[in-house]
Amino acid sequence: MKIRVDLDLCQGHGVCVEEAPELFALDAATSKVVVLDQNPPESLRKKLAVAVKYCPTRALRIVED
Amino acid sequence: MSAAIPRLSGGIPLLGHLLQLRRDPIELMQRCRDECGEVGELRLAGQSLVMLYGEPAQEAFFRATDEQLDQAAAYPFMKPVFGPGVVFDATPEQRKQALRNRSLRDQALRGHAETIARETERMIAGWGGSGSVDLLAFFAELTIYTSSAALIGPEFREELGPELVPLFADLERGTDPLAYVNANLPIASFRKRDRARQQLVAYLQRIFERREAEERQSKDLFQVLRTIKNPDGSARYDVQTITGMFISLMFAGHHTTSTTSSWALLELLRHPEWMQRVTGEVDALYADGRDISYQALREIPQLENCFKETLRLHPPLILLMRKVAQPFQYKDWTVPVGKNVGVSIAVSNRDPGVFRDAERFDPTRYEPGRDEDQHIFAWVPFGAGRHRCVGAAFAMMQVKAIFSILLRRYEFELAQPPESYREDHSKMVVQLAQPCRVRYRRRAELAS
Repeated sequence: MKIRVDLDLCQGHGVCVEEAPELFALDAATSKVVVLDQNPPESLRKKLAVAVKYCPTRALRIVED
Repeated sequence: MSAAIPRLSGGIPLLGHLLQLRRDPIELMQRCRDECGEVGELRLAGQSLVMLYGEPAQEAFFRATDEQLDQAAAYPFMKPVFGPGVVFDATPEQRKQALRNRSLRDQALRGHAETIARETERMIAGWGGSGSVDLLAFFAELTIYTSSAALIGPEFREELGPELVPLFADLERGTDPLAYVNANLPIASFRKRDRARQQLVAYLQRIFERREAEERQSKDLFQVLRTIKNPDGSARYDVQTITGMFISLMFAGHHTTSTTSSWALLELLRHPEWMQRVTGEVDALYADGRDISYQALREIPQLENCFKETLRLHPPLILLMRKVAQPFQYKDWTVPVGKNVGVSIAVSNRDPGVFRDAERFDPTRYEPGRDEDQHIFAWVPFGAGRHRCVGAAFAMMQVKAIFSILLRRYEFELAQPPESYREDHSKMVVQLAQPCRVRYRRRAELAS
């Protein structure tokens, strides 16, 4: 699976960082999300799904390979 | 070659469609869609406003950058409310900085749930076994306390009292569309707006002075702003400017959250089957005696869907605007620099192409499988894209926390004929028209 981000939508709320710090960080300069691992392991799927679900701007999506 | 933008009929000389905007803005914006289609132009005094309708046109609007579409210049009625140097009067770069308000970040939100619950308990502490309450007055006061406690700091909240409610009401009612002619016309609503702002500045000044006299060490945002210094040692922000920041922080979350809470309760009372469902949901969630927490508030989907549906049918803002700073292209149409473009939240939220049975209160439309709010450029009570309401998550958490308490403590019923509860659309800030009373009765006493 891959993570797709719509940067027009991201406002840097940081829900994803709280839910899955292994996968997301906030860029210090732009305050927008940075994906740390473009091809996350299956073991992080659950955490990733929570991050996607609760993103307040719906900026994240999971794309299956 | 650019196609001609259709013009809406019915404008009068000089004022254009401005009086219709003051009388029935939703009718005006719906008529523009029906008559003109995806793109239609109307006039507000000397300004031209090109309305964009439907998901694709709205997506183009919401994705545009600040350099293309300027938000500040499109809201002349907000400038005198916030005052000089604050948010809508700042450069795009300053606004970006202001948007990075850490108190709205997710990490901070996790601590706000308890604060909101505590403030709600305090507000109803004097309610007794039964009585009646004006919804707008109640929620307007409560949200002053919740916003100030959560966003500025608990110590600052303790310095505020009910005397702030009428001041905020006057600021909100000062958003008359006549500001498109001139934001300083000698009319009563503008005079009250300016007086309320002066009184707020004096109110905050007294808090500063009290703190300085007591040499109290405070850590809230109010104090932090006060102690920021310029390189030469002078204070960076004067009381005027801090008052403006305070108003802009509070304003955005005040009338919006208080009207939404009021309408949510009214819709639940109009749809008893939903009142029963969400009361059951909240009772079950807290049956094990757990506290109101961020995590708990994530687990009340039916109540959340009722709020989404309330926001769709009664959006607290009905029209979003931007000033065109670089020619704005959509399909074959080009809107030139200097005109305004707009999206009507109220019209979009009832788009029959997106929402099945759009006029009906139906929270099941957000359940998995239907997911009608996934149309993020059509379900737009919070706007969308880069200027989407940064307080949306805070607001949702807040109303869920408030209702977690109200619904478990009290039962409610309408105290007026159902059709007498209605919106007042005569100002750009939409409010519930008063009176809007409901009766309440303590639930524990019902059971005994």
